[in-house]
Amino acid sequence: MWRQKEDSSSASDDGKVTLKVFSNLPDRKNGQGLVEQTIIDEYMKENPDVNIEVEALDEEAYKTKFKAYSMEGMPDVVSIWGQPAFLDEVVEAGVLAELNSDDYADYGFVEGSLNGYTYDGKLYGLPRNTDIGVFYYNQKMFEDNGWKVPETYDELLALAEDIKAEGIIPVAMDGGDGWPLACYLADVLYKLVGSDYSQIVSDAIESGDFSAPEIKEATQLMKDAADAGLFQNGYDSQDYATSQNLFTNGQAAMWYMGSWETSMATNEDIDESIRTNIRVFTMPTVEGGKAAATDISAWNGGGYAVSANSEVKEEAIKFLNYMYQPEKLSKYGWENGVGLSAQDQSEYMTGDETELQKQIVDLLANSTDLSGNPINDCGPSAFKTSIESEIQSVTNGTSSIDDFLSTIGASCK
Amino acid sequence: MERAGKKKSKITKPILWIVLIIVAVIQIFPLIWLLDFSLASSNEMFTSGLLIIPKKIQWGNYVKAFVDGNFLLYLKNSILINGLAVVLVILVSIMAAFACHRMRWKLSGTVKMLLLMGLMIPIHATLLPNYKIYSMLGLTDTMWALLIPYVAFSLPQALFLMTSFMSAIPVELEEAAVMDGCGIYRIIFQIITPMLKPSIATVAIMTFLNNWNEFMMASTYLSSPTWKTLPFSILEFTGEYSSNYAVQFAVMALTAAPAVIVYIILNKHITKGVAMGAVKG
Amino acid sequence: MKKLYSNKLVILSLVLPGLVLFLFAILAPICLSVYYGFTDYSGMGSYNMIGLENYKTLLQDPTLRIALRNSLYLALGFIFIQHPLALITAAVLDKLGGRGENFFRCVYFIPNVISVAVIAYLWKFIYNPDFGLLNNIIKAFGGKGDINWFSTDTAIWAVLIVLIWHGFGWGMLIYYTGIKNIDPVLYEAAAIDGANQTTTFLKITLPLMKPVIQVNVTMAVISALKQMETVYLLTNGGPGNSTQFTANYLYQQAFKAFKYGYGNAIGVIFIIICLLATVILNKIFEDREETKLKKLEKARAKGAAV
Repeated sequence: MWRQKEDSSSASDDGKVTLKVFSNLPDRKNGQGLVEQTIIDEYMKENPDVNIEVEALDEEAYKTKFKAYSMEGMPDVVSIWGQPAFLDEVVEAGVLAELNSDDYADYGFVEGSLNGYTYDGKLYGLPRNTDIGVFYYNQKMFEDNGWKVPETYDELLALAEDIKAEGIIPVAMDGGDGWPLACYLADVLYKLVGSDYSQIVSDAIESGDFSAPEIKEATQLMKDAADAGLFQNGYDSQDYATSQNLFTNGQAAMWYMGSWETSMATNEDIDESIRTNIRVFTMPTVEGGKAAATDISAWNGGGYAVSANSEVKEEAIKFLNYMYQPEKLSKYGWENGVGLSAQDQSEYMTGDETELQKQIVDLLANSTDLSGNPINDCGPSAFKTSIESEIQSVTNGTSSIDDFLSTIGASCK
Repeated sequence: MERAGKKKSKITKPILWIVLIIVAVIQIFPLIWLLDFSLASSNEMFTSGLLIIPKKIQWGNYVKAFVDGNFLLYLKNSILINGLAVVLVILVSIMAAFACHRMRWKLSGTVKMLLLMGLMIPIHATLLPNYKIYSMLGLTDTMWALLIPYVAFSLPQALFLMTSFMSAIPVELEEAAVMDGCGIYRIIFQIITPMLKPSIATVAIMTFLNNWNEFMMASTYLSSPTWKTLPFSILEFTGEYSSNYAVQFAVMALTAAPAVIVYIILNKHITKGVAMGAVKG
Repeated sequence: MKKLYSNKLVILSLVLPGLVLFLFAILAPICLSVYYGFTDYSGMGSYNMIGLENYKTLLQDPTLRIALRNSLYLALGFIFIQHPLALITAAVLDKLGGRGENFFRCVYFIPNVISVAVIAYLWKFIYNPDFGLLNNIIKAFGGKGDINWFSTDTAIWAVLIVLIWHGFGWGMLIYYTGIKNIDPVLYEAAAIDGANQTTTFLKITLPLMKPVIQVNVTMAVISALKQMETVYLLTNGGPGNSTQFTANYLYQQAFKAFKYGYGNAIGVIFIIICLLATVILNKIFEDREETKLKKLEKARAKGAAV
């Protein structure tokens, strides 16, 4: 539509529309990044008058630059996270364009998946994935050493001892970025309190008071794990890629990360003997905890939105809708094994999926409860910044649990 | 004296050599390590050996680094932006130095002081406000966003060097030129500038060294690849090839290469330039 | 001549480019920072003037204290580790002569021309506790080699080592030039007096190098205060805030925590601290300048007398 208007006003060939896409997926040759790039290439092919420029940065760099952009003007289509820590302030400032929710009635979005992207009944973005926090583990390594997938938290810590005895790192942890630790904390807290999780977290953030005994206990459990040497030496300064490489090169038996990394199973940069043996389990149950083994903390994290001030807003929304056609993002995602989308993917099952992928599907299919954003994403960005830097200090013992909880509480005010 | 010195050095020379070699190894070994593993395959990194002989030399790492790291484009941008910065710094500093040092006006001291203030201002303190200013003026994602701060923050040192060299040039030369009917501009560019050659070289080298490696501003102000500079090869690459360390090593080696090669070729001049800049500055 | 040299229009045309650059790239942002420092601006939308509120918070902010403490550590590290090493190496190099001298001088300077981005990523690998070079070296010498270099207590020293390594060549070169500029007559005199090399170094080289040392110390303190890029890439202030530096902190506050106003307040304090440090150091050294001059004359007199 917009294009036609443009054509009638300017007859020259230079009326080519440029769409700027800002993405948090720098790896364009594997996994989710490949899916995104494939769709972009297809779109440009089908719409020769549209040129799409991609700027892609690492997660942390992305988030920083996103904030800089939100101060002075966004690229047209951006990656976002449907969580208060990321979206509240930006939406309030009117940086993101409102989408017409009626457009997406037939897109097969899983129930509730749009909630994180909705403010005051208005839709500001679309979710890409359904995410759960998992322990990836090397099945062959487990079998060779006679290790068993732990069913309780105590077993997990006991297993760490056995693994360390073999000179192997039990769990590779991206502790340099604060958010995986925060996901871990949220996971443990969820196992403790079950479906009360969201209430407890939102109360704490509302009041700035994190002294609830459950939160304290969860923090203690996380610290216990660090003290027991569950994570690699120096986990608190190592980044995403380092922790991943420890796992994919056989230095670590497990890796704690989100389900979006299931595409590891098809990543040719990873040695075949390892990539075909990657399996997952979720956070084991905690003694006295309310959540059952099949209760899983899950959330719809990453997604896309359109800039409110985009000069080519209509074209941008058109592209967004193109991407979210079920046979694009969802299907390609499925075929590339990038975890679960936020849309119904059941019709793409072929039976040829990787073991890892099937396992994740089963986990979700058999789950008895799914809930909970990671704790760091539930408050304002000052809270997120605070918890993500303080969480390292509490796990490595530099600051006490009480200090940690009061510091992050103070940042909510 | 000669004899005494020689006698002593016979005993101490080996010790001198040992000390110097140890320091050299500390300075250079990490780079050799980098080169070594950049030619290996990724999983060979996980050894406990210091250096390895790669099973097969992986030149492909460098091909990937060269192509996917946008090496040529970013190198061109780096050279262009830094080259322009050098030219502008030299031009502006010579003009300002002449005005403040040779010409007669009341505010010359004050203006010179103002311009030298930049020496004390931390460049990163201007990151936040400049981001606002540049986006307001539509300068973000253009080369001006880099050129302006690079020139502005290199200027004080350049001005300092230029004035101190200029004071060594005898005024008589200019007097003669004035007699011949030269204007100020001709005096500056035809008489003074050629005599400032050594300090121009120093300023050029210092400016280049200071800005060549800058990336904080580049990563804040730039978004599209059009003007991105060489450090971006690495920043983008580590995300792109997060699970392939060897290729990351290759891109690091490749990015470091131009400056190191130029340094080795121009070693003597650069040493002289830095030394002169440091002593006068 | 006089008329020509006081032509206002010509003067203006000569200084204008410099002045405009100064106003636009240095003064304007500072003014803007001062302004935003008084607001609760998040970076987007509307904001309120809140007076000195940001500065009050800043006084209580433990992270800023850590950042300044880290700058102090860094400055001390430069002054008491990097510079003595550089000075001694320069003195040793000066004695070598010939091709070797040029070769080593060249080698020492090489890390200096390499981009901070490369250096930071390279050292991330060197420090890795599981497969990094440093622990592998320790293993090669029979140690256990499982040191976590970036633990909360040691991270700042790990950063310091990188910076010392990276800047070593620069410091060395400056001292080296200084030593080369010393009048050889003085050494001859000392040799005739029967002084050995250590005494010569302590009694002649060191005192005569004082002005160079002073310049270098000033530079060390300033660059310790200004440190940002290496830390941003190497640790980004972590673990916790143990390697936080002022510039990095203000960047994080503005572009991560959406506290643009607060970030600018940090920026203003940052500029004031840098200005103060420069002025104070210059004052200290100015007082010494006179004593130094006297000493220099004495040394000269001694050399001449011989």
